Amino acid sequence: MIQQMESLKTESADFVAMPHKIDPFVVRRSVLKMLHRAKASHLGSNMSVIEMLIAMYGCVDCDKIRELAPDRSRILISKGHCAAATYATLAHFGILPRSLLDTYHLDGSLLTGHVNHSVHGVEHSTGGLGHGINVAVGCALGLRSRGYPERLVFAMLGDGELQEGSIWEAMMFVSHMNLCNLITLVDNNAISSITYTEKVIDMRPLTARFEGFGLSSHVVDGHDVNAIMQAINSIKQGDKPGVIICNTVKGRDVPFAESQPIWHYKSITDEEYSEAISHLDRLEGMA
Amino acid sequence: MRGQIIDAIFARMQTDPDIFFLTADMGINLVEKFGETYPERYANVGIAEQNLIGISSGLANLGFRPFAYTISNFLIHRCFEQIRNDICMHNYPITLLGTSTGFDNAPLGPTHHIVDEWGALKSIPGIDIYCPSSVAYAASLLDKIEQAGRPAYVRIPKGGHTEPSSVEDMVKIAGENADMLLVSYGNPAQVCLEAQRRDPRLSVLIINRLHPLDDGSLIEALTPHRQILVVEDHFPLTGLYGSLCEFAARHPLNGRIKSAAPKNYAFDVGTTPEYFYKKFGIDVHSILKLAGN
Repeated sequence: MIQQMESLKTESADFVAMPHKIDPFVVRRSVLKMLHRAKASHLGSNMSVIEMLIAMYGCVDCDKIRELAPDRSRILISKGHCAAATYATLAHFGILPRSLLDTYHLDGSLLTGHVNHSVHGVEHSTGGLGHGINVAVGCALGLRSRGYPERLVFAMLGDGELQEGSIWEAMMFVSHMNLCNLITLVDNNAISSITYTEKVIDMRPLTARFEGFGLSSHVVDGHDVNAIMQAINSIKQGDKPGVIICNTVKGRDVPFAESQPIWHYKSITDEEYSEAISHLDRLEGMA
Repeated sequence: MRGQIIDAIFARMQTDPDIFFLTADMGINLVEKFGETYPERYANVGIAEQNLIGISSGLANLGFRPFAYTISNFLIHRCFEQIRNDICMHNYPITLLGTSTGFDNAPLGPTHHIVDEWGALKSIPGIDIYCPSSVAYAASLLDKIEQAGRPAYVRIPKGGHTEPSSVEDMVKIAGENADMLLVSYGNPAQVCLEAQRRDPRLSVLIINRLHPLDDGSLIEALTPHRQILVVEDHFPLTGLYGSLCEFAARHPLNGRIKSAAPKNYAFDVGTTPEYFYKKFGIDVHSILKLAGN
């Protein structure tokens, strides 16, 4: 796997891949610890997006993000409630001091429960859904206008978030302007807010929705970092903007939380935390 | 006034590479020159106002200073959360250019009457709100916005009024005695000036920057008067009347503050703004009557 990623790394100049340095188990462990300490919610989504975050940050020059270079790639977390996973990923990529993670969701900390641009490395504060993608479109347009049309912009959306009309305003424009540097990742964890997405608004197949708007679509196992990165690279090599439908499991690797809608809201008890960590230990031992 | 603002932005784009102009498919025979001359700094995002604000925010992230143009009601009402979260929370120097105010679109019905938008917006910290009352102030606006370097909303009235010629945020035209002061902005300011021509005893205060108001200038302008009548084409509670009442609670005045303004939406046809001015008591006759004539 590492060899495959090294080969991806060499395929284009700004493709500074280093996800092999980041172990999803390590990030998961950090996120569980943060959520448990803070008695915070959104465990489900924070567990489903970890590999997506690793793939996105693994595809860009994190030094430029750390330095806030004007020509940096932009990563927009449109589903802002995945804050714990985002902060943990930023820390594991060396953008955010790891010690800050201990302050997540606590009094006086900037590490709020939805991503907050006061935190170094976070491009934009989100929380209301259907915002981040539109800002990402502006970033992609701006990078093109500034003379950096190859610089990547990522937007990470939820499958429930696709119910917001502003998403499709963005998609129309992205396609019309052929903003090839914008790559949209959908965390297709099959749960919206209070119930399963297909019971709320059944939009399957998602690929047809995006293709109808003129985008190229790719479907991958959203817990396979390498597969996500290959899809990213494929869009980079293509001639139209693309979306990656990342099929994920909400609450991934937390056995009692997997695919259970209540874990959008519930906070984890001491016993549940111990059980989750033990399970991660077992999975890691088998990996 | 719209022309002065647009022309100033267009001229500035030649020397300022950070200006980006966006429209939500509005401004026929007006905005096309931006795309023709500066295609890399112009976008027509379509009739998609939420996207207009989101894209503007992304451009501001890149260091641009975007100007986002469409009709005021679509721009403000539909996009309130985008303006709050994506612009103001990030303190992005984005200027919202809203065309039409009050009853400028008189016969088009209540969805196109702009009578409650800036009052909603002023509840968000960090945004400047302008409503030019004359072409002179409109022409000076770009410099003021650029100097402030933060979010701004420009409520652009239809019309090309030449008076007052001042470019100050507050313009006072003193009357012959200190009893009654008319306070107004935008197109109703012309109604107040006409009332003053008919009754020279009246004083008129025209406010071109509606929010935030400068306390020092207000104290100086309001203190001499025993009666203050706020004349506006916006609901009074959240409009200038509300702002002055809040001010009076902090700085007790000698005078009492009254309102002449629409109190609700209008569902009847009026072919001109004057129809609604009369209906809601913001016409010259009603103002003179309130002033004791």
